[in-house]
Amino acid sequence: MLEQLATRVTTCIQCGRCTGSCPESGKTPFNVRMLVRKKQFRSVIDEAVPWYCTSCGACTIRCPRDVKPSEVIIELRSKMVEDGDIPVALQKALENTFVQKNPWGKSRNKRAAWMEKLDFEIPHVSETESKRLLFVCCIQAYDPRCMVIPANVAKILKAGGMEFGILGEEEACCGNEIRRIGESGLFEELQEENLAAFKEHGVKEIVTLSPHCMNVLKKEYGDTGIKISHYTEIVAEMIANGAITPRGSYGKKVIYHDPCFLGKQNGIFDEPRAILTSVKDLELLEFSRSREVSLCCEGGGGRMFFEVEATYQRNAEVRILDAAEKEAEVIATACPFCVMTLEDPATEKGLVVREISEILTEVL
Amino acid sequence: MNILVFTKRVAATQEEELRILDEGKTVDLSKVPFKVNDWDNYAIEEAVRIVEKSGGAVTAVSIGDAESDEVLRRAIAMGAKDGLLIETGDALHDPAARSGMIRNFIQKENVPFDVIFTGVQSEDDQFGCVGGILAAILKLPYSSMVVGIDSVEAGHMVVRRELEGGLQERVKISTPCVLSIQSGINEPRYVSIMGIRKASKVERKVFKAGGYSEGADAKIEVVKWTYPPKKGGAMMLSGELDDMCGQLLGILKEKGVYQ
Repeated sequence: MLEQLATRVTTCIQCGRCTGSCPESGKTPFNVRMLVRKKQFRSVIDEAVPWYCTSCGACTIRCPRDVKPSEVIIELRSKMVEDGDIPVALQKALENTFVQKNPWGKSRNKRAAWMEKLDFEIPHVSETESKRLLFVCCIQAYDPRCMVIPANVAKILKAGGMEFGILGEEEACCGNEIRRIGESGLFEELQEENLAAFKEHGVKEIVTLSPHCMNVLKKEYGDTGIKISHYTEIVAEMIANGAITPRGSYGKKVIYHDPCFLGKQNGIFDEPRAILTSVKDLELLEFSRSREVSLCCEGGGGRMFFEVEATYQRNAEVRILDAAEKEAEVIATACPFCVMTLEDPATEKGLVVREISEILTEVL
Repeated sequence: MNILVFTKRVAATQEEELRILDEGKTVDLSKVPFKVNDWDNYAIEEAVRIVEKSGGAVTAVSIGDAESDEVLRRAIAMGAKDGLLIETGDALHDPAARSGMIRNFIQKENVPFDVIFTGVQSEDDQFGCVGGILAAILKLPYSSMVVGIDSVEAGHMVVRRELEGGLQERVKISTPCVLSIQSGINEPRYVSIMGIRKASKVERKVFKAGGYSEGADAKIEVVKWTYPPKKGGAMMLSGELDDMCGQLLGILKEKGVYQ
């Protein structure tokens, strides 16, 4: 699978569409077209530069020559990973993932601690009839802000009458960010471990919470024969067929931020909007840059785990200013990384960030 | 310069709530992941940097069960030339027994070295004295808490030791010698999984610990594992977040921490 993703730098015609679509271009030292050029000529690059990439995928989507510039960045990073010369914060994230199977280095034994707040039990996936797995993954399992997401989604799926189970401590990091940091060996280990668990317990279907997990399970784990969905797809369908009906009212102006790994990279634009518009009195607003051209929050590609050197106005802040201009009260999104990056500037401006499942749980 | 570095595979316990079993006889490590001892990681890195600059070779040695091969592969991936495992059955806690075994091993196998590095301590047992005992029984000079190696010359080294009060002590130490390396002496390189896989192709020699235990008896014995006694003085706040913040602010004001 990884070989199919190999880059084709020699076909690049230096048109610059990649740089033109890059959320880091112009404001940071990152110039993706230049990096592709340098790769063509095997020229020396500044080692700090490839780490600016957020893996949003816009360059690869818009490239007319199928060069896959975002994969070029991963190749450049891989070389630095092999040489052992990477930012210390990323080194810690990788070492933590090696030891505890999550970048934060939290105990693997506490991977199911988010369930403590539920008033019902979720079985192990092997004990389910459907063999449908709720894939929780790291940030939702451990980050206090994001631990509500699996709890909320579990409540919603239960309300919709869907049977599902979890892997608990057996689940390992999905590896989406690990591969993008350039640690292909560690990615392979995570992939093998998860695939072995899926196989052992006969998993037939996986519902993911983070679009990052959905992306890697769907596109980079090879042909698993397992149906992979983002929870918004399942919930939108439940609402459409009447399995769940949001009863409460949410009389607020809500603007939806498309996560890169859900929207532009995987084409899921309508389902999150369908969930939001099903809520009574919720007024859905749109960013000027929405859907395919949604502005990246800068949480992907390993950027969740370290700070780049340059000081500049972060995209999350730009996004919040855009939301304020549209007179939104709430910024809704469907990705834990987006929640984390958007929340600080939003709080500063008196706005609220909500993961879609949080809004839905409130009105269910 | 030939540098012998000791590296240990330890339980990664920082994030765990460990359970004592069998009325204090053992600690349940069945679900705890293992890793390289942090101090040893710095020691390997420092040794590799010295030989990269001045020539020579690094030999990594580990005392432990067969799984300890993992930390040898890691050391080789970092730049060590060889990995030697002294394979024990049960974990060897006693630092005098460990040091005695190392002495016997070095002498019996004629392991050549100019300098021996250990980490200052290991994360699991935290005795912090294998380096010191080893130096004493090998009758070699010893420097502990080494935070810098300023020069490596024929017959001596100049190293810096970390002291309290923000001081460092620079000492000239003749070689051969034993140094215990403090964390923070360098920034260890990242060791990739591919690097470890490549290192697996380098043969690691395994020696059975039983052959090196003569005169290396344990001087101390673990009587019981216990939890620290619970102390009072902590107060748990409860309620909604806003309430708790209000309560906390009240306490801080009352104690005069916040005006």
